Amino acid sequence: MKFAIALFSPPHAPSSRRALRFAQAALAGGHEIVRLFFYQDGVHSTSSNVVCAQDEVDLPREWREFVQTQQLDGVVCIAAALRRGVLNDDEAQRYSRTAANLDAPWELSGLGQLHEAAQLADRLVCFGGP
Amino acid sequence: MATLHVLSHSPFTDSRLSSCLRILGSQDALLLCGDAVYALQDGSAQRQALELMPENIALYALNEDVQARGLLCPTRLKQVDYPGFVALSCQYDKVNTWL
Amino acid sequence: MSKSLLIISRQAPCSGPGAREALDIALAGGAFDLPIGLLFLDDGVFQLSSAQQPATLQQKDLSANLQALPMFGVEALYVSQRSLAERGLQDQPSSLAVERLDDSSISALIDRYDQVITL
Repeated sequence: MKFAIALFSPPHAPSSRRALRFAQAALAGGHEIVRLFFYQDGVHSTSSNVVCAQDEVDLPREWREFVQTQQLDGVVCIAAALRRGVLNDDEAQRYSRTAANLDAPWELSGLGQLHEAAQLADRLVCFGGP
Repeated sequence: MATLHVLSHSPFTDSRLSSCLRILGSQDALLLCGDAVYALQDGSAQRQALELMPENIALYALNEDVQARGLLCPTRLKQVDYPGFVALSCQYDKVNTWL
Repeated sequence: MSKSLLIISRQAPCSGPGAREALDIALAGGAFDLPIGLLFLDDGVFQLSSAQQPATLQQKDLSANLQALPMFGVEALYVSQRSLAERGLQDQPSSLAVERLDDSSISALIDRYDQVITL
């Protein structure tokens, strides 16, 4: 099966870890992930500025490594990101902000990418809340 | 079409579970994860409501969330791991997560 | 043939970006000519109140975005009868032409769509 996975929660929400474990299980089960789309507070799960205690799970790092290692398409909704202060270099420059906190492999784009992923996939699975 | 409804909010502080129960289709299923597994709390009205659901509504819970909270599951409920969660999402026609 | 998507909007209008961001998904889908449905459920029904004045909170009025739905080709608009009744809104005029559905009709509605996002 082809999966489109959308995340709506920040990295400290258990649902962010749950989404990652689901995605890992989907690949391990031989399925394909068409795209990972981060919306609403899910954009925080892609921030390079989240600092985790040494003895805690570093979810933003795990998400990043997962996308990079598996060569997945990880898209962050630009409107949701801007509203929440998650900016890549281009946007930080555009809006004269002092810092960028969104790096590779994350791509900023619009909701069209969520819709395209939903069209391409057999299943759209969303994660959010606790 | 059968839908897998996924819930993660505690039913004691939130209305998602009760809203979901009202609009369940006859072949639908419920997967409880996160704080939604508190609906399995023995002696609660929520647990009773789940046990009273028609037999054809399948009931699942994510095992790590049940274990983390030290809960006991009713016999009609099947605990699943992540591969099981993935399998359910393939088995049902669509997944509706109550975000 | 395109897969159809039902968006179930459950957030009240002035409580953060939730209602707006649900609507944005619907509008984006309409802009891409996709078959989109939108159901207002639970506190989401408050978005349809014609009496609201979000400017008092320095928030944008969602009504303009809601009115844009048919223009974007999103005409399958629904509201939960029960949610309206629970909130004493069953006799209030809606700012948008929506079809009222009881619980079993909502169940049937969800069944008809290929995918659902409930937020």
